[in-house]
Amino acid sequence: MHRKVAFIIGKKRLKRNVAFTISIYILVAFSIIAIFSPVLTPYDPYTITGTPLEKPSMGHILGTNDLGQDIFSRLIYGTGITLFVGFVGGGLAILIGTFVGIVSGYYGGVIDEFITRGIDLLMVIPMFPLLLVLASFLEVSMTRISILMGILGWTMFARVIRSQVLSLSEYNFIYGAKAMGASDSYIMIKHILPNILPLIIVKFVFAVQTYMIMGVGLGFLGLGDPTTISWGQMINRAYTNGGFALGMWWWLLPPGLIIAFLSIALSLGGYSLEDKINPRLRREIEIS
Amino acid sequence: MRIEYVIKRLFYCFLAFFVGISITFVILHLMPGDYISHLLINIESTISPEASEAFKHKFGLDKSLTEQYFIYIDNLLQGDWGYSFEYGVPILNIVVEKLRWTLILLIPATLLSLLIGVFIGAYFGWKSGSKLDLSVLNVMIFIRAIPSYWWALMFVLIFGFYLGLFPLGGYMGIGVLESGTDYLDILHHSLLPMITLTLCSIPGNYYLMRNSMLLTVGEDYIITARGKGLSEKDILFKHTVKNAMLPMVTMITLELVFMISGSVFIETIFSWPGMGMLMIDAMNARDLPLLQGIFLMDTLLIIIANFTADMLYSCIDPRVKVGE
Repeated sequence: MHRKVAFIIGKKRLKRNVAFTISIYILVAFSIIAIFSPVLTPYDPYTITGTPLEKPSMGHILGTNDLGQDIFSRLIYGTGITLFVGFVGGGLAILIGTFVGIVSGYYGGVIDEFITRGIDLLMVIPMFPLLLVLASFLEVSMTRISILMGILGWTMFARVIRSQVLSLSEYNFIYGAKAMGASDSYIMIKHILPNILPLIIVKFVFAVQTYMIMGVGLGFLGLGDPTTISWGQMINRAYTNGGFALGMWWWLLPPGLIIAFLSIALSLGGYSLEDKINPRLRREIEIS
Repeated sequence: MRIEYVIKRLFYCFLAFFVGISITFVILHLMPGDYISHLLINIESTISPEASEAFKHKFGLDKSLTEQYFIYIDNLLQGDWGYSFEYGVPILNIVVEKLRWTLILLIPATLLSLLIGVFIGAYFGWKSGSKLDLSVLNVMIFIRAIPSYWWALMFVLIFGFYLGLFPLGGYMGIGVLESGTDYLDILHHSLLPMITLTLCSIPGNYYLMRNSMLLTVGEDYIITARGKGLSEKDILFKHTVKNAMLPMVTMITLELVFMISGSVFIETIFSWPGMGMLMIDAMNARDLPLLQGIFLMDTLLIIIANFTADMLYSCIDPRVKVGE
């Protein structure tokens, strides 16, 4: 019985490893597409290269939009900004969250109380509506919007990391380091950070996924810089300018399917990583 | 001690409320571009300065920001949420009206997704490791990874446009102009957005419940229960599920925040006249007081949900030492 369970879990872990590798490959492939998009696109995405609303053909693989721009080229060009928003927004949120979480969890006491209460207060503010309002009123570039997203979204991560650091700080090796006279910042960087790094990486993968979806969502709602080509803006255009009513699936579907594909890949990677580091499934905590 | 705890929490709620609305007040009033210049962007040069001044005076926009803030708080305490620039009517009336429409979707969607998520999560947390468990897990990951707006668009496209089973959007058919409000018609319109919202929130509930079950199954008291010779059914329902349900209470609060953002997309796509649509509308019109009112309502909802979760939690989990 026991052996059987162990076998199944082992097999499952193997499968998850495969999933993780695949998702890394997909991410690398998309990054390459993003970097080399000027080379890969058959047309300039901004210029009018055909008659409006052309059907897919050899000349235009995915046809043209209502302005006569090549849809395929726009799709390729949209990759970069989607990845950028995900990585910058998610990265910033994780960075702030990790910093606040480690400080709060390590020092404990009054500092921890102050930070935790502060986060509780901040979490009452509806962040997503606030992001929408800021994005629409400030009329800023997607770069600034992704920074805004990071600044507005770190609270959740700070909470998770804080609770992890809190229990880690009770371990003997931390007390030992303290007894040997190591400074607080040294302990936080050399001892705490490496131990919570796996958790941070998992949260980062999910953050990138969430922020990518959100970035495309903002574009879909018609927010953000209209001159930047993004998948969200493409969906919005196809939806409101007739792609939907005319049944032009090659205009509406590709950007949505591609964000869904990327999101699934990232989320599979995230779950397989989580599976790896989750002590609940391993039943032992490894302290390096 | 119990009363003390409740009072402390209530005080904290008020504090959170004031901090929340103060921050949104400051941010909203720092935004560039005011209502009148945005509204009259093309005829700005032809509008008489007197009219603009009169408008600003009427809404108190000629006062300093601090003054405006205190007037706002003072009015709020008297139950006056201010007047909308765009509609000229009390904001409380608009927001409450739109909130009703949002709740028509949100309440059934929340309950349904909780019920389905908890049920599936509990079952597969119990039977974890099986082939079916793994497939269900992958399906859930798949559902969650696809953005809610994409599910909504696909549903409109497939069930509304191609199959014609549901209306493409809106909340009532044109027929109500003659026959009056038809509740069946509203239900028909609300079904598709409701299903979308439900579908998008099931995986979160499922995942938490499944993890919680995995954690609980490993507890010593489950082994004890088994050692006592209790039937598997008793162990599952009386010991495992009951305890694994605890984290779900906190989940409801998070769920609400998630749903508030999700409903912006769903309402936009289905043209559902709720808070999300109202927000987009107020945003495009730069109707600051109305936006402030929407934030106020969202903040209130989150605080009430937080408070309820806290109270519920301390009621159902005797291990939580209340007041410490």
